Amino acid sequence: MIQKHDDSVSLVLLGGSSGSFSIFEEILKLLDRPLQCSIVFVLHRGKSSLSELPQLFRSYTQLQMEEPQHLDPIVKNCIYFAVPDYHLLIGPDGRFYLDNDEKDFFSRPSIDATFVSAAQSGLNIKAALLFSGASEDGAFGMKLIAEKGFKTYVQNPLTAEVARMPAAAIRQYSKHHILNENFFEEIRSILYSYST
Amino acid sequence: MRIMTLEYEELEFIIMKVKEVSGFDFSGYARPSLLRRASGYLVKHAMDLSELTSHIELGGNSVYDFIQELTVNYSEMFRDAEFFIKLRSEVFSYLESYPTIRLWVAGCASGEEAYSLAILLKETGLYDRSLIYATDLSQRVLASARQGVFSLGNMRTFSENYLLSEGKKSLSDYYHVAYNQAVMIPDLRKNIVFSLHDLTGDGVFNEFQMVSCRNVMIYFNLEQRQKVFKLLYESLAMFGFLCLGKRETLRYSGFEENFRIINMHLNIYQKIK
Ligand SMILES: C[S@@+](CC[C@H](N)C(=O)[O-])C[C@H]1O[C@@H](n2cnc3c(N)ncnc32)[C@H](O)[C@@H]1O
Repeated sequence: MIQKHDDSVSLVLLGGSSGSFSIFEEILKLLDRPLQCSIVFVLHRGKSSLSELPQLFRSYTQLQMEEPQHLDPIVKNCIYFAVPDYHLLIGPDGRFYLDNDEKDFFSRPSIDATFVSAAQSGLNIKAALLFSGASEDGAFGMKLIAEKGFKTYVQNPLTAEVARMPAAAIRQYSKHHILNENFFEEIRSILYSYST
Repeated sequence: MRIMTLEYEELEFIIMKVKEVSGFDFSGYARPSLLRRASGYLVKHAMDLSELTSHIELGGNSVYDFIQELTVNYSEMFRDAEFFIKLRSEVFSYLESYPTIRLWVAGCASGEEAYSLAILLKETGLYDRSLIYATDLSQRVLASARQGVFSLGNMRTFSENYLLSEGKKSLSDYYHVAYNQAVMIPDLRKNIVFSLHDLTGDGVFNEFQMVSCRNVMIYFNLEQRQKVFKLLYESLAMFGFLCLGKRETLRYSGFEENFRIINMHLNIYQKIK
């Protein structure tokens, strides 16, 4: 019944809301070599936000960037951005699923929707990272991912532009790694590490 | 806050139970979305898996409620206003040439989309020779669709959508208010037939110049989706139009070659072979 996934898929999940946009831009600029993993960015966006992020970010990296469509298989060395007005779910078959179910924390896409589905998919999660934001979205998903034994990183609320989101994640689970100032080098080594 | 999450194995168990008790078969539905909704159901009703199992085993309304929550019924009149603008300019202008126009709204929820089409057909002068078949698998939403009653709160959103879709009048010209609710005028109902049809089990029942199946495909898994595409394809007359929801494309349908794209962003297609 449940299809077995491609074992080589390894996900890096990044979630953020207000105050995270420029961090995501900086992270993209780090990506100057092919990746062994697939990167998924979930950024809170308004329903009618028309800008296509791969277009907007084109100058930052040579790597392939996509807004996944329903049922697209997750491919290595590709960077994905959740589209507005749909949750981006990750299936056990290694495909993306779009879902226009209720909002979580007034958000669609919601970070929890993606993170929780990834945690439950059985796919390998190389790392999950959560940044600045004004809601508590993502905290539950981060906890679930950490409890499955995967690595989780949360921006230090004190250095985050908006503390609420990272603070909520730490409140729900105290053992996340904390990303302090000048964390971009650390993120680069996470993304390019060979360990899984 | 979420306290409970289901695992995929448990979901398979629930799917089996629901089928056993009610006959309703979720096996063709996309697992990640079902898992999300079933977990949401547990949280909302503060249940765990064993309580859910007993709840399902009660049968009757209990299992029906659960099925209802797993199949999303959310809809709006003139949902995605731009779609209706394109429908008028690119599709209806073509349908004009037919003496009778048969349209199928597959997965019609409480009738929002069917009424929107009726209004659009009226405003383009095509309504009197049109017949809209609007189907769904839920008796409950069909009953409410037949009544054509909507809350005034929802009507406000629908009115905004209608104006954005360049409607020619005011939406309030198409309903009257009774007991604080909006009731669609009987004239709109005249050429709409609401009936039960399960896209995963029932077959072709007519030939259509246009099939609109929006925000339904997204609930099916890859194999089921291909079967439903086959059903829709076979229900369309040659050069008939297929309308899908925003972000729902023909990708992975198996019928990519049989349609030409009328509008790529709004997912309007025409059958060409
Ligand atoms: C989200 S609503 C979409 C309503 C409308 N088409 C729109 O776009 O606003 C999805 C509808 O599909 C119906 N549905 C789900 N599975 C179905 C099936 N197997 N056969 C027929 N209808 C189904 C649900 O009952 C629900 O009313």
